[in-house]
Amino acid sequence: MAALQSVVQSCLSTTTASSFGSCKGGGGASSASANVMAVHDQFPAGLRVLVVDDDTTCLAILEQMLRRCLYQVTLCSQATDALNHLREKKGYFDVVLSDVHMPDMDGFKLLECIGLEMDLPVIMMSADGRTSAVMKGIRHGACDYLIKPVREEELKNIWQHVARKKLNENKEIEHSGSLEDNDRHKRGINDVEYTSSVIEGTEGTARTRSQKKRSSGKEDEDGDMENDDMSTSKKPRVVWSVELHQQFVSAVNQLGLDKAVPKRILELMNVPGLSRENVASHLQKFRLYLKRLSVEQQQSANAFCGPVESNVKLVSHGNRFDIQALAAAGQIPPQTLAALQAELLGQPVGNPGSTIDQPAILHASLQRPKRAPVDHGVAFGQPLIKRQSNVSVHFPQCIISAEDASAGGPWRSNSLGTVAPNSNLGGFSTQNSNVFMDTLQQEQRPQPKRHQQSLLTEPVRTINVQPSCLVVPSQSSASFQAGNSPASVNQSCSFNRSTAIDYSLLSAQSNNNSSLNIGRISNGHHKTPGILSGYSATGSLSTPSSSVIAESSISPQNSAVTYSDARQLTGRLHNMSNIQDLYVPKSGEMLDQGAYRNLGFVGKETRIPSRFDEFESQSNLNHGNIHAENIGNPVKQEPNMGFVDNAKGSPIFQQFSSSDLMSVFNE
Amino acid sequence: MLGLGVDRLRADMNRLLAMLFHQGVLDEQFLQLQQLQDESSPNFVSEVVNIYFQESEKLLRNLRALLMDREFSDYKKMGIHLNQFIGSSSSIGAKRLRNVCVAFRAASEQHNRAGCLRALELLEHDYCYLKNKLHELFQIEQQRVLAAGVRYPIQQIN
Repeated sequence: MAALQSVVQSCLSTTTASSFGSCKGGGGASSASANVMAVHDQFPAGLRVLVVDDDTTCLAILEQMLRRCLYQVTLCSQATDALNHLREKKGYFDVVLSDVHMPDMDGFKLLECIGLEMDLPVIMMSADGRTSAVMKGIRHGACDYLIKPVREEELKNIWQHVARKKLNENKEIEHSGSLEDNDRHKRGINDVEYTSSVIEGTEGTARTRSQKKRSSGKEDEDGDMENDDMSTSKKPRVVWSVELHQQFVSAVNQLGLDKAVPKRILELMNVPGLSRENVASHLQKFRLYLKRLSVEQQQSANAFCGPVESNVKLVSHGNRFDIQALAAAGQIPPQTLAALQAELLGQPVGNPGSTIDQPAILHASLQRPKRAPVDHGVAFGQPLIKRQSNVSVHFPQCIISAEDASAGGPWRSNSLGTVAPNSNLGGFSTQNSNVFMDTLQQEQRPQPKRHQQSLLTEPVRTINVQPSCLVVPSQSSASFQAGNSPASVNQSCSFNRSTAIDYSLLSAQSNNNSSLNIGRISNGHHKTPGILSGYSATGSLSTPSSSVIAESSISPQNSAVTYSDARQLTGRLHNMSNIQDLYVPKSGEMLDQGAYRNLGFVGKETRIPSRFDEFESQSNLNHGNIHAENIGNPVKQEPNMGFVDNAKGSPIFQQFSSSDLMSVFNE
Repeated sequence: MLGLGVDRLRADMNRLLAMLFHQGVLDEQFLQLQQLQDESSPNFVSEVVNIYFQESEKLLRNLRALLMDREFSDYKKMGIHLNQFIGSSSSIGAKRLRNVCVAFRAASEQHNRAGCLRALELLEHDYCYLKNKLHELFQIEQQRVLAAGVRYPIQQIN
């Protein structure tokens, strides 16, 4: 109780510092409750509110209303201004009120930025009160959505979001044990950051530790860092620009999220002026962000059936099938699907003549009604289980017949859930598992326990991404069986040597996973070992990101296919390819096994910067190029941004960006 | 005499407001706006409404430009304009304008150009009407304030 109160106090302290000091004096439980009351009398007053709206009329009215609530109001007519403001005065504002439609930056993007960089409650406002718009706001993490005209009574109440947030954080602090390993705890620390310096003077027992930590972190954050933007503050602070953040993320990827410690990250980033503490605090935020992200996705997955879209092009032996599988949940608007489809069809394909497009599938998916969340869950989490028999049967054979390929139709119609059924196609099952795993990874990442990484060996490390793993479907029966077990996805993931990644833990969460993650999964380096020669030789594969996985896995004419996430920064590509090279021979030995290595994290990483766009469904940021190559040549899918293509192979281009996929799902 | 004038002006204002409410031109949000006016910002309502007029004229111009374009296809942009228009109109309590905007937005979402044009015309008409009426209102108010101001010294003298 006392601890709880101290938190309340701390959260209040930002605004009512002076009164707070006096409150702290009271020790007993009774006085504590009195304190809370006293604080409440004053608390909302002085709340620091940042209002962002391009509509000056609304701005003027909001200002007046907020002023009458005794809040401290700062007005911004541009989102970019607001962001700069927030960056300069980190920790100053308690809550942000933002319009949804703004010319320079969409309100949701602003929301994303704020969510990424600072953990502030953001309240969206719009005249558009339609459910879809409000839902969008919720999905983006807005803590409230006010429909214009905003009334004074509503504004009076916004302090509750601040208080709630602080209280929640406090609870988490209480529950968490050790500072270092616990994400939750970090979150708590993070929150403390927003409280004013007054807190640091308090001697609340519950918070002493975090406080201490925080204060040191604060110093560091203020520590020397050359940055032009921050000229205003006396000590320059680190501004985590997109580039810097990307560097950071790639460093984390290299190390693996679990193993990433600030010192190592700092070394990898090699940015002059950046201190360990800067990195540490950013790492905390980053983890928090990932966690929130997963929660968000989980929720949205529950709310909607996540659309999964996979474009699959099959190449088996001499026969090439071009299957464009769009397994889309009902949520995907038909137009979008159509657009995607068009895009896909428009894509250059290695051997246009030989490829068979199956638009019918698309239609099937289009017609899919909205799926119940339950179905969704099934689709994702249980495909392996459900289709187990199929998988086991077909896998070892790894023979994909024309019928199978065409069978995609029915499968499609099943949409996501159906993806699993596809497991008939060895490839598909792989895909599922991949998706699965990726999803799992996503979900897991934020979780304190990450087992998946632990098993990775050194070579993996270079590739780094924690959950990187090879899924070997060929072991199908056994491995998929494992799927049945509580740990649903127990894919024998062989990595390079003996590295095995156990996803069983991950699988536990699988049911919760949202299809949203699929988009990321799509990123893939394909490497088709020589054995695949038929495959690769026949033609370059053009696969949209998501399909990539499925495709190669399908290919298994007893060939090993390595997937890795291609979305990486340039520097890392090299590593990747090298590793792959190393790997190739191995995979060859593993014939029969569609080896899949999914660097989920990498995918995610790239995604983070692009995420703002993705939600908008207009995002173009990551256009993946897929290169199909023979044996030695990895098939890569790379984001456009800053990618150097190592592959010599004929690049086949997919305009289809994973982010697009994502956006579709989101819609 | 002047005091009577003040009362008469106030009655005029109330009558005008009542009419606008009755016609559905304004709604209670406008009263909220009036309540926001206090000593710290004595001209709050007219200031805000003037801002609103400026913004609205900009928006109306943009909307008309968009619709007049022969190869017009940017319904999305139009939707964004309209959303803003709806937001600001509802914020000052311009109920009828808001409703027309909603209809406008619906037409634009259906890519119904004829409907959009009709809505735009109605919007412009209603906008002019609102502007005239509110100006009238503010004028009366100004007179009232002046009259009240004149009366004040008289009171002191007495």
